[in-house]
Amino acid sequence: MDNNSDQRELTVHIWRSEASASDDDLQPDGAWQTWEVPVRNSQTVLDVVTWIQRHRDPDLSYRYACRVGMCGTCAMTVQGKPRWTCRTRIGTVVDGNELTIAPLRNLPIIKDLATDMAPFFDKWAEAGAQFVPDRNVDQQTMAPVKPDSRARRTADVAIECIGCAVCYAACDTVAWRADYLGPAALNRVWTLVNDEREASPKEHLKAVAGESGCLSCHSHQSCAELCPKHLNPTASIAGLKRKSFLLALAGRS
Amino acid sequence: MERRRTDILILGSGGAGLFAAIHAHRKNSDLDITVAVKGLLGKSGCTRMVQGGYNVALALGDSVERHFRDTVEGGKWINNQDLAWTLVNGAVERIHELENEIGCFFDRNPDGSIHQKAFAGQTFDRTVHKGDLTGIEIISRLAEQVWARNINRLEEHRAVALIKNKTGDRLAGVLLLDIRSGKFLFVEAKAVLLATGGGPTMYRYHTPSGDKSCDGMAMALAAGLPLRDMEMVQFHPTGLVAGEDTRITGTIIEEGLRGAGGYLLNGDEERFMADYDPRAERATRDIVSRAMYDQMRAGRTAKNGGVYITMKHLDAKMVKKQFKGMVERCADCGFDLVSGLVEVVPTAHYMMGGVVFQTDCRTELTGLFAAGEDTGGVHGANRLGGNGVGNSTVFGGIAGDTMAGWVAEQSGFAEADEGELAAAVERTSHPLNRAPGDLNDLRERLSNVMWDDAGIIRDAQGLERVSKAVNALHDDLMNTGIGSGQRHYDIAWQDWLNLDSQMTVSKMIIAAAQARDDSAGAHFRSDFSDTLAPRQAWYTELRQINGSLQVSRQSVDFNRIKPNVDEGSEDKP
Repeated sequence: MDNNSDQRELTVHIWRSEASASDDDLQPDGAWQTWEVPVRNSQTVLDVVTWIQRHRDPDLSYRYACRVGMCGTCAMTVQGKPRWTCRTRIGTVVDGNELTIAPLRNLPIIKDLATDMAPFFDKWAEAGAQFVPDRNVDQQTMAPVKPDSRARRTADVAIECIGCAVCYAACDTVAWRADYLGPAALNRVWTLVNDEREASPKEHLKAVAGESGCLSCHSHQSCAELCPKHLNPTASIAGLKRKSFLLALAGRS
Repeated sequence: MERRRTDILILGSGGAGLFAAIHAHRKNSDLDITVAVKGLLGKSGCTRMVQGGYNVALALGDSVERHFRDTVEGGKWINNQDLAWTLVNGAVERIHELENEIGCFFDRNPDGSIHQKAFAGQTFDRTVHKGDLTGIEIISRLAEQVWARNINRLEEHRAVALIKNKTGDRLAGVLLLDIRSGKFLFVEAKAVLLATGGGPTMYRYHTPSGDKSCDGMAMALAAGLPLRDMEMVQFHPTGLVAGEDTRITGTIIEEGLRGAGGYLLNGDEERFMADYDPRAERATRDIVSRAMYDQMRAGRTAKNGGVYITMKHLDAKMVKKQFKGMVERCADCGFDLVSGLVEVVPTAHYMMGGVVFQTDCRTELTGLFAAGEDTGGVHGANRLGGNGVGNSTVFGGIAGDTMAGWVAEQSGFAEADEGELAAAVERTSHPLNRAPGDLNDLRERLSNVMWDDAGIIRDAQGLERVSKAVNALHDDLMNTGIGSGQRHYDIAWQDWLNLDSQMTVSKMIIAAAQARDDSAGAHFRSDFSDTLAPRQAWYTELRQINGSLQVSRQSVDFNRIKPNVDEGSEDKP
């Protein structure tokens, strides 16, 4: 079979703009531009963007790295929703022959489809979302952690986040509150709270118990719906709410 | 041009770069440490893409000596034994650090102890892993540790040249191109770590992250440094092939599929591996890759020119559970790994060769340190699956320690040779002042000639052909400009620079492959198919002298273990 016997073309609309002037200017002026792109087998949204940059407009800017769903740098707004583009096949999102691609929302734009992910990473750090080692443990051994323990199973279902910011772009609370830490960072904190090796799970809880943390989540579920790894940050945040409530009660008694 | 100063400048943010930053910071948190990366921190490069896992001798009955022997035998005895010894010992320290200090989740046995799985070419089950996506866990945990520390990040800043002092005996700093603004930045540093990763992306089918283009090796060559084992390019047998204009083509689906009983079928849907090796699909990477390539050359191919892998005769539940990441990835691309046929090709995976360096990560150039895939000597002629992430994390950590100690002894910054700096700016700006041409065509031609004549099976005639072809392509590149030359976030400019590095490094691969008149590990010459006898082991070393590549033959120092008189050169299962 000739791989490209298919003569169909896809009509692709891409949002072009220059950089955001500041972090408050997330939607700088820009315009849609349209191309016709030949349809290929197994073609992904990233392949379409690549084809346009290589064959039609060398000035089109976008970002990707691993091309296979591991690095989390190629997410864009595809047909109005945030998605990773390297593993989103055209056939799964195009009904008809129109495809629209825009930069991820909730992040400053660098140019065209490339956004600045720094605020997303900075909030991860702000949430204290990194392991704190227990200095009393012998560092030359590995703590036994039973894979079927409740804590490990709870952490396991949330750990495989690749940090692609799809949830961050999908989240309305992020759009409303500039200081909200967002689903990915909170999801990571939930794995730390459930990590039996962690020195200070309570400190992790306290760090995200406030208004910029888990309390602001309205459980709209957009993050869970769109996570390409099928994680459920909403459930993780609900866990954080529950545990921080219990911690507050314990603190009062 | 903007200038900046930092005590330690780290180029790259894979396992090597991030561990170096964490270790240098741990040793002296007052140091000004900067990580410059072509993409985003922790997102670029290949540590993140590790599927298999991390080889380390932990279990009762295993030993570092045994891991060492497996590594040297896998490397066909051409490894630098001190480097390999540092790897296997350092792996024990580093895996504990990853577990206890960085907080990585690794898979456990039911009793809570760490799980270690079998991996090809090893005499013991010693591969620590997190499912079939180990690299994401390691690099995500490392990146969040770096974000939490006072470590400067220069993201989307690509290094373009190592700049020495006027006398040429010490590194003064690195010229960077800020991809976002299109402006140059010169960073002066007391110590610089080259950790950009190799990545044989100049082949038609390749596995590494698409942002890799061997920039580190190209910069090292230009700075006059020696590189070794450049002919040793590892091909992985099972890269996906999805057809024309698909980025996913070439990316790996896991080795473990064959280990778990997967079959390889040719275009006629017949098994063929038993014709090549008694171990059939479980033979080593090089043998399986050559057999697949042989089938492809004979025209027994599937619709996109590859062959098939199938798991459909195996327990579907096991496949779904054990290879979750691969099953999902195939499904997203429209392939059914559990009950169908998935088309695969051998794919260029890893460069065993690289910059000559010492066990403490020093290089020949004072002030320059190196770690990870940019270096050569650790793996010899072939790398064991599971030794790659060990290499980057072990030596990255060592480099961080060494640099922090070294910087403390330096009185100040070296003064850059301004002429050299200006020339580097000029060279990097070369395509901006030229009429645009078809870069895509150049890339495709490069990837085809390298695949056909400098790939899995080589001979003198083919190497001569590809040598001429790459020289001509490089000349074409020099006459090719880019689009409008918009400069800021200019993908075409980056593509041009990528091609420049890839062509430079392609020439090194070809020159070393021409010099190597035998077959060893990943390097197979059909006109010299006798495999290298371990006792006669030697390696290639190469450097640029007056603009031309000079390859020399170096003898191996068997200073830790010696091959037995009757040591066969057969591949171990």
